[in-house]
Amino acid sequence: MIEINNVEKRFGSAEVLKRINLKVEPGEVVTILGSSGSGKSTLIRCINGLETLSGGAIRVDGNDVSTAAGLAAARRRSATVFQLFNLYPHMTVLQNVTLAPIHVLGQPRAEAETRARALLDLVGLTAQADAYPQRLSGGQRQRVGICRALAMQPRYLLLDEVTSALDPEMTGEVLDILARLAAEGTTMVFVTHEIEFARRISDRIVFLEAGELIVDMPAEAFFSEEGGLAVPRIRKFLSKMTKD
Amino acid sequence: MRYADFTPYDLVLLAQGLGVTLGLFAATTLIGLALGAALTVLHYYRVPVIGHVVVAVTELLKNSPVLVQLFLVFFGMPAFFQVNMTPVTAALLTVSLNTAAFAFVIFRSGVEAVDRDQIEAARVFGHSRWQILRRIISPQAAAFSVGPLIGLLVNQLQVTSLISVIGVADLTKIGNILNLRTLEPFVVWSVIGLTYYLCAKALAALGGRLERHLRRSVVWQGL
Ligand SMILES: Nc1ncnc2c1ncn2[C@@H]1O[C@H](COP(=O)(O)OP(=O)(O)OP(=O)(O)O)[C@@H](O)[C@H]1O
Ligand SMILES: [Mg+2]
Repeated sequence: MIEINNVEKRFGSAEVLKRINLKVEPGEVVTILGSSGSGKSTLIRCINGLETLSGGAIRVDGNDVSTAAGLAAARRRSATVFQLFNLYPHMTVLQNVTLAPIHVLGQPRAEAETRARALLDLVGLTAQADAYPQRLSGGQRQRVGICRALAMQPRYLLLDEVTSALDPEMTGEVLDILARLAAEGTTMVFVTHEIEFARRISDRIVFLEAGELIVDMPAEAFFSEEGGLAVPRIRKFLSKMTKD
Repeated sequence: MRYADFTPYDLVLLAQGLGVTLGLFAATTLIGLALGAALTVLHYYRVPVIGHVVVAVTELLKNSPVLVQLFLVFFGMPAFFQVNMTPVTAALLTVSLNTAAFAFVIFRSGVEAVDRDQIEAARVFGHSRWQILRRIISPQAAAFSVGPLIGLLVNQLQVTSLISVIGVADLTKIGNILNLRTLEPFVVWSVIGLTYYLCAKALAALGGRLERHLRRSVVWQGL
């Protein structure tokens, strides 16, 4: 379980996250919605330890990310897929996917490569295993990013706008894979602007507004007239997002 | 007795001088690059104080004439510290430190040129700081650095000619000797100059191949 308790984050005098509380149970897909600058990325970066908390605590399966040992353990339980892929450009696809399994998990190279190839097969990148990222399309790169995350056999997958750098066709490729993972019961914390997709795969939706978590409800409720749509701020957000 | 003629033995002399020049160049390059890399690692780990000292010393080495540094090491240090200093030791010490200072600057900007996002990704995947340096930063920083490094080394090869001034029998010193004997400065210095030129070209060609190898993964836009 990921537990986020009263988390605050300040950059100088700017309060970017204000007393956020959120729990993600194993098997859940929780989508974080909110307009630009509301703090979605910052929240993800707090969970994976790229930002230090200004207040509160985050625990991943009981491991407190603000201690060195806790963070190391938390990072072994979760994996992140990035908006801009953040692949290692000097390594082939296969090397990108096997680096952490070999050097962080200590898997033997042969085993790591077998697993990596199986994952690449799954996302249709069998032929690209030995290519360098520069040679791939955006959609292919992001599929590599997903394989790199899955190769860690994470309990939690953190995804921050993983399709927003992709054109619609490539977005489709990547979302199909995520939908499959969701259906298989992968736990995900998912930041996205793909409202329709979020509606389809999420168990719960939380809404961030200027650093505050103003709504946390089951996906169905969120999109219903009595639930999310009854909140003017969310109604406005959804009508704006689904228009374009 | 006439000393003015060239003899076949002069070629041997020339080869010896070239050997000394290349040997010194190779040794100072190895020491300089290793030291430059070590300093870059210290800088990467933000070792307190040392980082500032390194930057200050490299600034001094970069911004003062190598000849003056050589005189300081060869004449100044023995006088001040009461140590023995052979010309070869002084030459090794001075050129190595000089190469190290410039290599440090090149490596450091190579490290800084590596995209931050990848490093964040590596941290999130649980890689240690050392693993990130070794597996992510170094290979890319090396690829970024080869170009400027080749330029530096071609220049340092020329710089080694300064050591003839303190009596090391390098290529330039041999030129001096042949010149005094034959009184044919135009021929002698043309041959010496051409020899340096050919060495520099060979070095640049070698470096170019290394660079292409290191950058094989990347399609460089606009280059
Ligand atoms: N390193 C930083 N230093 C200062 N301010 C920051 C930093 N990172 C983020 N911010 C600020 O924090 C706020 C939230 O940023 P964040 O990136 O989390 O928003 P977001 O919800 O992910 O937005 P988007 O949808 O555009 O990705 C913004 O106002 C941003 O300017
Ligand atoms: Mg964001």
